Amino acid sequence: MSESDAILLETAGRLFNDARAAETFETAWGEIDAAGFASLLVPEEADGFGGSWRDAFSVFRLAGYARAPVPIGETILAARLSHDAGFDAVAGACSLAACAEGRIENGCFTGVFSAVPWGRNAGFVLAALDDQLIRLNAGAAAVNENQSLAGEPRDGLAFEGAPVETARLNGADVFGLAALLRTAQIAGAMDAALAMSIDYVNERKQFGRPISKFQAIQQSLAQFAEEAAAVNCAGDAAFAALARGEASFETAAAKLRANMAAGVGAAIAHQAHGAIGFTQEHELHHYTTRLTAWRSEFGNDRYWARRLGRSVAKDGADAFWPGLTRRSDAA
Amino acid sequence: MSEAMQTFNLRSFEPPEGVAALRKDVRAFIAQEAARADASTRVNSWAVADAAFSRALGKAGFIGMTWPKKYGGHERHPLERYVVLEELLAAGAPVGMHWIADRQSGPLLLRYGEEEQRQRFLPQIAKGELYVCIGMSEPGAGSDLAAVRTKGVRTNEGWRISGQKIWTTNAHNSHLMIALVRTEEGSERNAGLTQFLIDLSSPGIDVRPIIDLTGGHDFNEVFLDDVLVPDDMRVGEEGAGWKQVTAELSLERSGPERYLSSFGLFVELVRAAGPDPDDSLAALIGRLSAEIWALRQMSMSTAAKLADGDDPALEAAIVKDLGNSFEQEAPRLVQAMTEAGDDLLADSDLARMLAILLQVSPSFSLRGGTREILRGIIARGLGLR
Ligand SMILES: Cc1cc2nc3c(=O)[nH]c(=O)nc-3n(C[C@H](O)[C@H](O)[C@H](O)COP(=O)(O)OP(=O)(O)OC[C@H]3O[C@@H](n4cnc5c(N)ncnc54)[C@H](O)[C@@H]3O)c2cc1C
Repeated sequence: MSESDAILLETAGRLFNDARAAETFETAWGEIDAAGFASLLVPEEADGFGGSWRDAFSVFRLAGYARAPVPIGETILAARLSHDAGFDAVAGACSLAACAEGRIENGCFTGVFSAVPWGRNAGFVLAALDDQLIRLNAGAAAVNENQSLAGEPRDGLAFEGAPVETARLNGADVFGLAALLRTAQIAGAMDAALAMSIDYVNERKQFGRPISKFQAIQQSLAQFAEEAAAVNCAGDAAFAALARGEASFETAAAKLRANMAAGVGAAIAHQAHGAIGFTQEHELHHYTTRLTAWRSEFGNDRYWARRLGRSVAKDGADAFWPGLTRRSDAA
Repeated sequence: MSEAMQTFNLRSFEPPEGVAALRKDVRAFIAQEAARADASTRVNSWAVADAAFSRALGKAGFIGMTWPKKYGGHERHPLERYVVLEELLAAGAPVGMHWIADRQSGPLLLRYGEEEQRQRFLPQIAKGELYVCIGMSEPGAGSDLAAVRTKGVRTNEGWRISGQKIWTTNAHNSHLMIALVRTEEGSERNAGLTQFLIDLSSPGIDVRPIIDLTGGHDFNEVFLDDVLVPDDMRVGEEGAGWKQVTAELSLERSGPERYLSSFGLFVELVRAAGPDPDDSLAALIGRLSAEIWALRQMSMSTAAKLADGDDPALEAAIVKDLGNSFEQEAPRLVQAMTEAGDDLLADSDLARMLAILLQVSPSFSLRGGTREILRGIIARGLGLR
């Protein structure tokens, strides 16, 4: 890790922890915005930070680790997509929609974006519509506020003849990038919930000793660590693939692997915590409900497994291994 | 939680230039030498011993790849060796004969052996002509390896060794066994142990087959009755056996065979499913693809750490346990969700592979350290014990 990477991660970790402590978007966003994180993936020539995709993985992972109550990942991705599409840079929080439905007439969009992360707080929102990338000012929308299981804003935005910017998608995969953002956040949240579980079992005493001394507890937390390792490795590798170019295989594989890990991790964390982990007051549920919600967002297991399986089947049995190695040898 | 904890850092896999060409060479070699391997061989290749294949592989320069040339090695980069291993496994080539010698016995001699031992044995191993087996387990010492009782007593001719080893894979085809022996009378646990190279043709050695549940003969019992072993066959210092065996186990656990040993099942599944599978088959293929890809990233990262001179014991335990679990779950899923699973006696490659793997896969989380022992190592790494 280079020195500038180390500084970036140190800063991100600190700011995201502050953001968690601040609790709400309104109190947390200002500092993160001021630090200029939004331009992480925008090239230096365009006045951006010029970070790499692997930097982005690390930053998104830390946002998940801290469960920062802000759409920092969405904003970073929106800035990059906007730059690549030739849209002007914009200030403030931005977001991405998993699903956009509607039509464009005379440069105006009528339709809905559903489940937009922090839609109510976003300046601009992006989505894919057919073969186009579209960007709208969220201020023009009627907002139907909703939230995920974890209480994160997931809002419906209804537009009625709102001015829209459009560009050819050119291979940009909004849904896939957002899926990788959730993958990285799951990686962080898994490690955070694992760390919390380790601390807890070392502290909590039953039968006259810390419950960490019971082999059943040790074995299940070891399994938790394996799953956390798998999603961290998968996430990092998928972002490395993004840096090389087309990454649809890695995107599907990484989000699917993350989804599987999230289910195991949340279950083991709760089992190790006993009843206290089932309370509103305890910190644990903030992580486990996020793991649960993120597993469904931007493609659940079924979605990615079918998609990946179809593409592997279409290429044929004898193409799989050569394909796998060709992609990694290109690094 | 100010410092974000991370159990597993990805280390980039950066082999020297020319890896694509190397893969091509290995694939061409396999196509020529192992093209006709049948389904049950392909899916359990690491357990299939074929001396002719091993000799050809040695001749082609794919054994002892990283060793110095003066010992018959090829001074290739460790990640080039990794690439060759994964190609062999992915193709299901019959690598069982030389695998142990290449993976751990040779490296053990390079690290702890005498110069004379290296010159004597390494070139033959690299040629694919000298085979070695692992003499660690005993009837009373399985997971608890420090309980070994096979005894070595120093005499004026060398050592006299008596006792019994068990589960000794490929002993019936091997020339040498590297045995862990208690050489200090009255010593306890991991003290007083020494490793020896034992010539399996020595008087006093009796290798008896143990037939596994498929009816196959891979492992054995090895009885040692007052076997004379010259002192120049001692590996490393007297009493240093535990440290050496621990290093050996690290090599034994960290390779790609721990997730890729039955890759052929996946290939046949995709073939049987055809280009346009139904939703449930597509989902199964997708799930297995994702797991294979993720395990490969983890395995390559561990290999990169080893190549950098680190000791990724924790990562190796993680990859082995996840890999074993994957290779046990995959046949069960394929059985549950495919037509082949409806009739294990069917005349198809997929059914044949499935039938074999459903029987042998329970051993995956036993050999090389059990699931519970590996998770114990991980738990220690997490600070729980
Ligand atoms: C196919 C195959 C090939 C093999 N080849 C070789 C070889 O070439 N050379 C060689 O030396 N050995 C070989 N082995 C032996 C292998 O290393 C042992 O099987 C393994 O170490 C476990 O020992 P065991 O079988 O005696 O089981 P045990 O140690 O008796 O274990 C039985 C069960 O108890 C569990 N257990 C044991 N101790 C603990 C504990 N402290 N905490 C929790 N659970 C525990 C185990 O995890 C396991 O589930 C091979 C084994 C197999 C299956």
